Amino acid sequence: AAPRALIKVTLVKHEPTGTPTLTLEGVFAGGSVGYAEGKLMQSHPLSLCNSSDDERLDSSVISIVKLESNMHRCLPLLEKAQLALERGAHAVIFDVTDDIGAEYELRDTDSLSRPVVLIRGSDAEDLMGLVNRNEEANVQIEIKFEPNKWQQYDV
Amino acid sequence: HTPGMSTGCQSGCLTCSDYNGCLSCKPKFFIFLERNGMKQTGVCLTSCPSGYYGTRSPERNDCTKCRPECDSCFTGNFCTRCRAGFYLHQGKCLQSCPEGRAPNDAQRECVPECP
Repeated sequence: AAPRALIKVTLVKHEPTGTPTLTLEGVFAGGSVGYAEGKLMQSHPLSLCNSSDDERLDSSVISIVKLESNMHRCLPLLEKAQLALERGAHAVIFDVTDDIGAEYELRDTDSLSRPVVLIRGSDAEDLMGLVNRNEEANVQIEIKFEPNKWQQYDV
Repeated sequence: HTPGMSTGCQSGCLTCSDYNGCLSCKPKFFIFLERNGMKQTGVCLTSCPSGYYGTRSPERNDCTKCRPECDSCFTGNFCTRCRAGFYLHQGKCLQSCPEGRAPNDAQRECVPECP
């Protein structure tokens, strides 16, 4: 199974306390496992269509893209992810709740230079809800270490 | 309307969703990706805002940003007003004017030198 990611979200207005407001989970795409930290910024799916659109992103930005079903895909998902990283995103989060095939598209890639995380369901809803309310937030992406399954058996 | 998508799309929108706004526009409209704080949503316009130019294609009509040194433009290669510190000459924004022309800071243009 693909390694899981912990997404720790801290609202900027809650910053002084330092405790994450939300901790969500996702799945790292392909071999893009790693740590990342930055300000959460939404990117419209059409913003990742051609390289000429030069919305350079500040390197301390983590891009979040809500993928839609029934929407013409201008580029394969891998190229969208690479384009977002080329523009300076420190990491990319894709909400794939409505795009069932997305996970398979990125499963076997190992050409992603920084973390790309796929989220769905209630985790995605929580994160997109925060974006929709324009609540500025900082995000930390970490690897979720799963206890070694064999340790549970006394062998 | 697609499940999970907004029931009421803005004017000019063909399809839209709660989180992304417009996803596609009706014919002749341009889709503009509007940045508002951390959000970026699509809106459909009859013409692109200043600082952007319209490009038409079979799939989609986009609003594309003018070049960095250009404040407003017709196309990616034809500027109509330059950013401060640049001077317009034949649709291009230059940092210095060619021979026989002098920089005019008010208009941000290269104008003919006084004889």
